[in-house]
Amino acid sequence: MSCEEFQRILPELEDTYSLEQEQHLKTCSHCSALVADLNAIAREALLLADIEEPSPRVWNRIEIALRQEGLIRSAQPAAPTLRKARWNPIWLVPVAAIFLVIFGLLLYQRGGVEPQTAHVLHSTPLPSLPEGVSAEQAELLKVVAAQTPSLRASYESEFRAVNAYIRDAELAVRRNPNDQISQQYLTNAYEQRAMVYEMAMDHGLQ
Amino acid sequence: MSRSLRTVSVAVLSVVVLAAVASSQVRKEFHYQVHRRASVSIFNEYGPISVKPASGHQVIVVAILHSDKVEVDQNHGGNRVAVSSHLLAGADPESGRVDYEVWVPVNASVVLHSATGPIHAEKLHGDIILEGNTADVDVRDLSDGHVHVKTLKGPVTLTNVSEGHVEITSVSGDVALNSVNGPFVQVNSTTGNIRYDGDFGESGEYSLMTHTGNIDATTPSYASIDVYAHSEQGKVENDFLLEPSHTSFAARAGSAFAGTVGKAASSVKLLSFSGRIHLKKR
Repeated sequence: MSCEEFQRILPELEDTYSLEQEQHLKTCSHCSALVADLNAIAREALLLADIEEPSPRVWNRIEIALRQEGLIRSAQPAAPTLRKARWNPIWLVPVAAIFLVIFGLLLYQRGGVEPQTAHVLHSTPLPSLPEGVSAEQAELLKVVAAQTPSLRASYESEFRAVNAYIRDAELAVRRNPNDQISQQYLTNAYEQRAMVYEMAMDHGLQ
Repeated sequence: MSRSLRTVSVAVLSVVVLAAVASSQVRKEFHYQVHRRASVSIFNEYGPISVKPASGHQVIVVAILHSDKVEVDQNHGGNRVAVSSHLLAGADPESGRVDYEVWVPVNASVVLHSATGPIHAEKLHGDIILEGNTADVDVRDLSDGHVHVKTLKGPVTLTNVSEGHVEITSVSGDVALNSVNGPFVQVNSTTGNIRYDGDFGESGEYSLMTHTGNIDATTPSYASIDVYAHSEQGKVENDFLLEPSHTSFAARAGSAFAGTVGKAASSVKLLSFSGRIHLKKR
């Protein structure tokens, strides 16, 4: 049995292997290491079941920290030589992704990300934002101000108001997810924000 | 003698100033022949737009340009007329201002945009879309057409509007509806107050919703409504003796009430997250 054949059927295999497969694992260090890694990941994944899902912001922070450390980079086209390897490199993608997720989650749980994130933030200081306004909205305010300076304050206060609306509505939905009224508040709050965006962009593009 | 001399001097000076202002203004008038249900749009960044009904099938646009920093672009194709203010380099709210007076066939569909306004439309039967940032929007005596209004902080007033879909979205402008009814009436605001004075029609869906604004709805005792009012953090008051109705919404003393008046022909939802709500009997 070749490595290619073994790796092709590996996703369908459970804990038991045929005689031929066991023979291959004994003789191929590469495939046996791969199986060991996958088993380790499966064990860790079971432990994750009870952990509350962190917010997307946490994942962003983790990604920033990992990029800063050089542990992950933008995707590069695969080198042609890899195609000649004995086993299919496509396995690296899910395995690497799962490793990163687990690594990131462990860092998050142990509080290991915060110092790195702080380092990132210190090395690239963000300009101060108007209170109650997101970075994206602040950018839009600049565009509006460039067109009509007098309208900036008006848009800023509208953004602040709709952001507060969304915060309140989100809180209400979180407290009572099945409440139709809370959901309606949230929908309307998002519509209001969308309208402010639309008008600001219309104005900025003139 | 000296007093009358002073009066004459002031009068002469006023005439000179007015003449100077008038000389910087340019009046333009456009006439278009259209068919039934024409589509007319006016886009004006700075300045008022007023639309009234015209006799026959013609559209008349009178534009007063306040400086040479703005010009009027026009486009007339088929049954569509589009007029817009074109701001030139260096234009600001003063120099870029254009005052529009427009006459359209009563059944025309109208789209009006003015950032500063005011925007006014009256006595029409077609669909109307009005948009403004700080523009004061005033609409009266409309029927059979949809009325959609969007403003950031401009107040919106609708008077005598019937038999159309009414959708008003304003972030912080106050909204006043006087004798407004139709199959669908919706107001959505963030900080604006909402005031409704009318009978809620004979069958319609009414939804008045705001985040921090107050809602006052005044309706006669003969109104026929199925009403639900709720304020998450504010108070609700009700002058009517409501018949209990089967609803999924919970009534809570002081913060929510629900029930019917008359035959419950129209559905009325009054929702303010932290504002006060009052259903008043006229």
